[in-house]
Amino acid sequence: MKKKILSLGIAATAVFSMALTGCGSKDTVVIGSKDFSENIILGEILSQLIENKTELKVERKLNMGGTFINFEALKKGDIDIYSEYTGTGLTAHLKMDVITNPEEAYSVVKEEFNKQFDITWMEPYGFNNTYAIAVTKAVADKYHLEKTSDLKGVSENLIFGGENEFFNRQDGFEGFCDLYGVTFKGDPKMMNVSLKYQAIGNNDMDATDAFTTDAEIKKYDLKVLKDDLNFFPPYYAAPLVRNDTLKEHPELKDVLNLLAGQISDEEMTELNYQVNVEQKKVEQVATDFLKSKGLLD
Amino acid sequence: MTDLFSLTMQHMVLVLIAIGFSTIIGIFLGIISYWVPYLDKVILWVVDSLQTIPSLALLAILMIFFGLGNVTLVIGLILYSLLPIVRNTYLGLTGVPLHLKDAARGMGMSKLQRMIKVELPLSFPLIFSGIKIATVTALSIAVIGVLIGSGGLGYPIYRGIQTMNFAAIMKGTIPVVVMAVLFDFIMSKFEQKLVKRAK
Repeated sequence: MKKKILSLGIAATAVFSMALTGCGSKDTVVIGSKDFSENIILGEILSQLIENKTELKVERKLNMGGTFINFEALKKGDIDIYSEYTGTGLTAHLKMDVITNPEEAYSVVKEEFNKQFDITWMEPYGFNNTYAIAVTKAVADKYHLEKTSDLKGVSENLIFGGENEFFNRQDGFEGFCDLYGVTFKGDPKMMNVSLKYQAIGNNDMDATDAFTTDAEIKKYDLKVLKDDLNFFPPYYAAPLVRNDTLKEHPELKDVLNLLAGQISDEEMTELNYQVNVEQKKVEQVATDFLKSKGLLD
Repeated sequence: MTDLFSLTMQHMVLVLIAIGFSTIIGIFLGIISYWVPYLDKVILWVVDSLQTIPSLALLAILMIFFGLGNVTLVIGLILYSLLPIVRNTYLGLTGVPLHLKDAARGMGMSKLQRMIKVELPLSFPLIFSGIKIATVTALSIAVIGVLIGSGGLGYPIYRGIQTMNFAAIMKGTIPVVVMAVLFDFIMSKFEQKLVKRAK
């Protein structure tokens, strides 16, 4: 009796493990994403587009741990596609210095990834998720601020606050003040990243550093100042695809490039806002976006 | 709702498979540590150290070798579950009263017979409580599986945290807690029975 139970158990375990592992089919592409809303939304957009425009099946592995896990999985072939940022490609994967010219940064990562990793950078989506200086609407209106260099002569009246990391980075607070020749009122306030927007929303400070596609920019109605002296390195997002996958499914190339230049900074912020603030489902947000662009048949 | 149910089932199955394997491996390692002098320190040190590796780091390392998905998560869970099982097996076996061991030897039992007929049954209540601890711990660790692309309840929880959606966090957390409490309750009942029988 005991033996019977034991062998049943082993058989059940074997069946379960097989069911869980699943059998990767040739006609399936696996889409990955990093673990934050923007990257998940992009993963879902890619998935729906591929499902709609090709005969391929899509397996979603969205919301995996950060850059390291996605990139290793892509190199190994566990996923076929995920969205990466040019600045991250340069500094994290290629261990190179930042390049401030966006086109040059893109062409360097495109060439080097192809050579070193056998991975292709598709055309960028269009938006640039980099640092920028943001001010409250009231301050922007009062001092007529449009570009970051407009802060000169005004900044002495403004209180600046940002997350701790911004004060410790090469492309952070000090470098920014030096290049633009600005000083702020009193010492800058340093805080945890999640408190930053709340603080500026409460008018505890007037200016902060922001990621250009953060949903909170819209939530708190902040004005993002144009980085007219190109201090912050470019972080343009684009789909990364394994060359193997492109060889096997050449139709993917045209399909993925349908998204080239389709998502502006404002549009990406809006998508992030719908998911993070309005709590809409990622699937719905992706579908609505693709429909609005006329990309779903 | 069906979606949450299937995620819960997936979560439980992943944990049970891992616990099944780690029970077999753990008891085996426990017996080895008991049988082979000096090896006990090495084995206990290794399973101890495994436990101290941060779980996401361990999964990231395992991912390089085993790829994405459920297999890697199960292997990670097995490694994490070893400590309580190996330790309790070892403690149980060394704790069997000497006069019983002597009696078994006096009856002419071989080393293997003594293990199977006397020592293992007598230490089983302690081993079982090790399995119980491992199960409850694994249920909560399995949540991070989402970060290496495996199934289970991690997805709703992490999405909830990222979008500051309290309801989504609770939707994923409550089933984990309920399962942990349920397993703990049922296994504790069984454990009490085992202890009673052993006495």
